[in-house]
Amino acid sequence: MAEEPEAVLQLPSSAAAASGETLSELSPETVTPEPPSSAAVSPGTEEPPGDTKKKIDILLKAVGDTPIMKTKKWAVERTRTIQGLIDFIKKFLKLVASEQLFIYVNQSFAPSPDQEVGTLYECFGSDGKLVLHYCKSQAWG
Amino acid sequence: MTDDKDVLRDVWFGRIPTCFTLYQDEITEREAEPYYLLLPRVSYLTLVTDKVKKHFQKALRQEDVSEIWFEYEGTPLKWHYPIGLLFDLLASSSALPWNITVHFKSFPEKDLLHCPSKDAVEAHFMSCMKEADALKHKSQVINEMQKKDHKQLWMGLQNDRFDQFWAINRKLMEYPPEENGFRYIPFRIYQKLGLSTLYYPGTMQTKVGLELRERDLPASERYLPAYASPVLGIKWPV
Repeated sequence: MAEEPEAVLQLPSSAAAASGETLSELSPETVTPEPPSSAAVSPGTEEPPGDTKKKIDILLKAVGDTPIMKTKKWAVERTRTIQGLIDFIKKFLKLVASEQLFIYVNQSFAPSPDQEVGTLYECFGSDGKLVLHYCKSQAWG
Repeated sequence: MTDDKDVLRDVWFGRIPTCFTLYQDEITEREAEPYYLLLPRVSYLTLVTDKVKKHFQKALRQEDVSEIWFEYEGTPLKWHYPIGLLFDLLASSSALPWNITVHFKSFPEKDLLHCPSKDAVEAHFMSCMKEADALKHKSQVINEMQKKDHKQLWMGLQNDRFDQFWAINRKLMEYPPEENGFRYIPFRIYQKLGLSTLYYPGTMQTKVGLELRERDLPASERYLPAYASPVLGIKWPV
C-alpha cells in the first residue's frame, strides 16, 4: 500500500494539532487485546493481507451545511472508536458538546459508536483509505 | 430458503428464561420482588424490558429513577448487543434462569451507550442491517427498498412477527442464481478474553483470508447470520 504524501496528518494525541489547538490525549475506549494463543478461527492464524501498520488513513467529507474541515485526511490509530472520532471532529469544528454529529460509511450506514475504525477500514476501505461522511443531522437514517 | 424455514423459525423463537432482580443498594419504598421473563435471543434488552422497568419503578421513589441499565455478575450489559449474544458470551455455562441485576443509578458511562428511546434501538438495528447489506449486495438491495419496507423489518423484530420480518428479509438473503453466494458474508465473532470484560469484535469477510462461502458453514450455523447479519454469538468451532 503506497504511503500517501503531503496532506496526511497524525491525529494528535498529546501533541498540539496543526491548527495550534491543543487536544488532550484521546485514549482508546477499548484495548486491543492479544489474540488468544489457541486460535479459535480457522484456517489458522492468518495475518490480514497487506501491512498491519497501526494507523489507517481516513478521509473526512462533510455533508450538507456541516462545516468543512480544513484538514480532511487523517492517519488514525486502528483502535480509535467512532465515538472518539466524533469527539475529535466536534472539537476541531468547535461544535458545542450538546450538538450531535453523525458519521456514515459508504454514505449508507452509521456504525455503532464503539466500533473501531480499523475494523471498518478492513471491511469498507478502498484505495488505501476509509472514507467517512460526517453530518450534524441524520443524513442517511 | 423455503426448506430451511424450520431452522429460521428456531433461531427466531429462541428464548432465554431470565430473572431480573433489583440491585440491593437501590433505595426502595416497598418490596421489589424479582421479575421473570423469557427474553428473545434475537432482540435487544432495552426493547423488551418495558414491563421490567415498570415493575421495579413501582418500588422506587420518583426522584431515584433515572436511566435503567442491566448487569450480570458485575458486567454491565451492552443493550446494543443482541440478547442471545450477551447470554452466550457471559452466562451460557451457568444454570438457568439467567440472573440479571437491574440498576437505576450510577449509569456506567464508560461501558454502556445511552438508550434514550426505542428510536435509538431502531437506528442501531437498521444500521446493522445496512452494514450487512453493504457487504452482501453493495447496499443495492436495502437501498432500493422503500421506507415502508425498512419499517416492516423493524416492526417485525419489535413485535416478534416472524412472517412480517422475513417477508422483507428474504430479499436481503437472495443472490443471483448464476453466483454461488454472497460476495462477502457479514458476521462478527465475539470472544471473551480471560476474566475481564473485554470483548474483541471483529468483522471479518472472505477477502481477509477466511475462505467461507455460505454453504461451507455447518448447517445449524448457516442460518445464524441469516436474520440479522451481522450476527452475533456464533461460537466458532476450533
